[in-house]
Amino acid sequence: MIGEVEAFQELETQIIRLLEGGVDGPLSDAEFNDLALRVFRFQCRCVPAYRAFVTRRGLDPDGVSRWEEIPHLPTRAFKAAPLMAGDPREAEAVFRTSGTTGGEGARGEHYIRSLSLYRASLLPNFQAHVFPDGDGLPALALLPDPAEAPESSLSYMLGEVRRDLCGGRGRFFVDPESGLRAGDFLQALTEAEGTDDPVLLAGTAFAFVRWMEEAEKEGWRVHLPEGSRIMETGGFKGRSRTVPREVLYSGLENLFGVPRTLIVNEYGMTELLSQFYEPVLAGGGGWSRRAEGEGWRKVRNEGADPARGALSGRYHRGPPWVRTRVLHPLTLDPVPAGEAGLLAHLDLANLGSVSAVLTEDIGRLVPGGFRFQGRNPGAEPRGCSLAMEDFLHGARGGRGAI
Amino acid sequence: MPFEAWALPWAFRIRENETTIWGEGDLPPLEYPRLSVDRLGQLLSTLRDARESLSRIPVGAVLTAVDQVARRLHDPGDELRRRALEGIEAHGGVSEPMAEEILTRMARDWTRPPLEALLHAEFRDPGVLDGLRPSRIGGEVRALGYPLSFNLGAGTVPGVSTTSLIRSLLVKSAVLLKPGRGDVPLSVLFARALEEAEPQVGGAVAVAYWPQTQSELTETALKAADLAVVYGGDETVAWVRSHLPPTTPLVAYRHRMGVGVVGRDGLMGGGEVDLARRTGGRRANAVETARSAARAVAVFDQRGCVSPHLFFVEKGGETGPEAWAEHLSRALEGMEEELPSGPVSPEDGSVLQQVRGKAELEESRGRGRVFHGGSAAPWTVLFEPGGRPEVSCLNRTVKVIPVGRVADILPSLEPWRSHLQTVGVAGLGGGRPELLEGLARLGVSRVVEMARVPWPSPWWHHDGSGPLQALVRWMDVEEG
Repeated sequence: MIGEVEAFQELETQIIRLLEGGVDGPLSDAEFNDLALRVFRFQCRCVPAYRAFVTRRGLDPDGVSRWEEIPHLPTRAFKAAPLMAGDPREAEAVFRTSGTTGGEGARGEHYIRSLSLYRASLLPNFQAHVFPDGDGLPALALLPDPAEAPESSLSYMLGEVRRDLCGGRGRFFVDPESGLRAGDFLQALTEAEGTDDPVLLAGTAFAFVRWMEEAEKEGWRVHLPEGSRIMETGGFKGRSRTVPREVLYSGLENLFGVPRTLIVNEYGMTELLSQFYEPVLAGGGGWSRRAEGEGWRKVRNEGADPARGALSGRYHRGPPWVRTRVLHPLTLDPVPAGEAGLLAHLDLANLGSVSAVLTEDIGRLVPGGFRFQGRNPGAEPRGCSLAMEDFLHGARGGRGAI
Repeated sequence: MPFEAWALPWAFRIRENETTIWGEGDLPPLEYPRLSVDRLGQLLSTLRDARESLSRIPVGAVLTAVDQVARRLHDPGDELRRRALEGIEAHGGVSEPMAEEILTRMARDWTRPPLEALLHAEFRDPGVLDGLRPSRIGGEVRALGYPLSFNLGAGTVPGVSTTSLIRSLLVKSAVLLKPGRGDVPLSVLFARALEEAEPQVGGAVAVAYWPQTQSELTETALKAADLAVVYGGDETVAWVRSHLPPTTPLVAYRHRMGVGVVGRDGLMGGGEVDLARRTGGRRANAVETARSAARAVAVFDQRGCVSPHLFFVEKGGETGPEAWAEHLSRALEGMEEELPSGPVSPEDGSVLQQVRGKAELEESRGRGRVFHGGSAAPWTVLFEPGGRPEVSCLNRTVKVIPVGRVADILPSLEPWRSHLQTVGVAGLGGGRPELLEGLARLGVSRVVEMARVPWPSPWWHHDGSGPLQALVRWMDVEEG
């Protein structure tokens, strides 16, 4: 039996090669299955807490022959133990969720054994969905600088994007202590407005809402150069005072002069090293299958394509090295396509921790990806118990909040 | 056919094209009245007029009318009961046996004897609701319900909206009831049957549902009413309060959390029973207390304000806390036969799976135990030494926390004091006085033997104050 370190390196090399093939790289069912099972067995061997979880569910890691049989670890388990293959003290980074329940072990932690995997996953995916038309633009981020917020996976991501995709151009406008540096941001916007060079605005929906409030009060409005775009994230879960998406997007269009056809939502979480994007800029379609048991193939989502900016047709898709299933809330069996259930992802980039993750998010499969539903804000909470709303929201492992 | 979500007084008829059909999530669709603000105003005037004749009939006649409908709801051969059961199951999201249990128990509470007991507990002489009566301490008194009450139901527990309607009628207020989404059919069927039974009573009642988005209707009713009665979360209560004129009183039943306490005397290994009659004073077998606890959790699928979210179990008894947690899990499994769980929504299941998964991981690291119903049923028991009280994610999910002495639980409940309500107890032994005094100081409004947790006495001081007293104002005629 080869050593744990060698086993990791071998898999890491193979997965990074796959990731570098980009989001359009080929990946057959058989290849994905083979890799997923090898990753699963490696994780059972090297992440004792996950192995115990798998065993408790009555599974023998060597007896699993289809990736669909791999048990998904609920994201909240990341609050209970450091889940890393190998010694957590040797982690290259520890990312933490921002959510708190006020209860014990309030923040989820993701111990990152190898940042190379994170980089290899995030860069081609970001490029494909935010800069599909060419080189990266200068990034103005409503986020803390990664140097000041080493625990934020989102700041790290934008730091890598700035360096590798944007030619090092761009700045971060959130102070971890005092919040939004509105004056600096306004100045950067105004400077950009006076040029012909488009920019990327990136940040959490929450931060954009804060900016909108400030800008509306002060009467700040810019019209950014054509081709400028926005990536917003993390705003539709985890916070009870969200504005409706329509309001947010109208506000962004109005305050920045960026049409909604150039506004992309990213869905990511601290516990996963890969992300999901709405293929608004990149064109519809994605890795998908019509039903359990069928092969996964690249499909087009014709329904969403003609009006890509429209919010009603939007959906998220992951890269080929992530496969998403929608599971029944009680049985955890897959639900028929189109029905709502719990989003469960298997992310090969998570090699160093746990790849199969059950989220708290609700969604449904659509051709090419899934539609994130969250909690229906119009629904009356069914529990008569105390502050169910706060409880549910507070417990979310949202990573985007500031 | 969608359910018609209204019962309007005979003097106000809904017009053609004044209704609309609306579906939400996985719930069956409702057809509800799409009233304009003006039309709602007309409805409220109709109710005010009807209150004039309601106020002239004796409270005994109101009782008779309510009792008549309650008996129909109790009668297995009556079509009204059959329709109510269908509605509770489909709209309330509970299983068929649970719908039966809820309707049977609720309807029993709406019959004459419990309502009379309530009237007498609240008003030494219920005649004060009909006219001036001599006061105990000299002079005369009169109690009057507010002319027009606007009641907002929560929808989490079927039947609660109807109870609030009945209470308002007992003090002879006209009522506009907007039931919660899950509680529409029973309140509508009740109000329609009431009008059939006694038009003078039923004519002062309107039940109408509209979605939350039509807040202008809710605001209009709040402005027009003389009293608002609201059941709901803290946010709902805050919203209602901020939309009420300063002169309008508010009776609010907020989110509540129940807990259970099992002392050493409730953890006996044998079949001991003694005849001490004080609540919590009896010695009881551990399996028996676990069964009572399981039933308390199961009824209403834990959505009741009385439902326990966690149990404290005293160490040092014949059965240890961990073994009791196992008894509880077996009892919850058994409850799935008798009172099966309703369907689990994706929203609820999302949290449930996280709670289970995290606890499984903790258990595999030697911290606590978790027992659950797997893919068959949502019940989940988390045995957590050193655990702290927390609100449950419901669907029959409870913590079991071992404690040294029963009174030790008091400090840990301090953060929950504004939300504590029912405490189910068993086998408290010598710790009883200290515990009960501490619970009273924490604002607990009901302490009850574990087996009686789900069904409060009709005369219970609901959330700590008299349920009918809260609906009246008094006039004292002082002695010469």
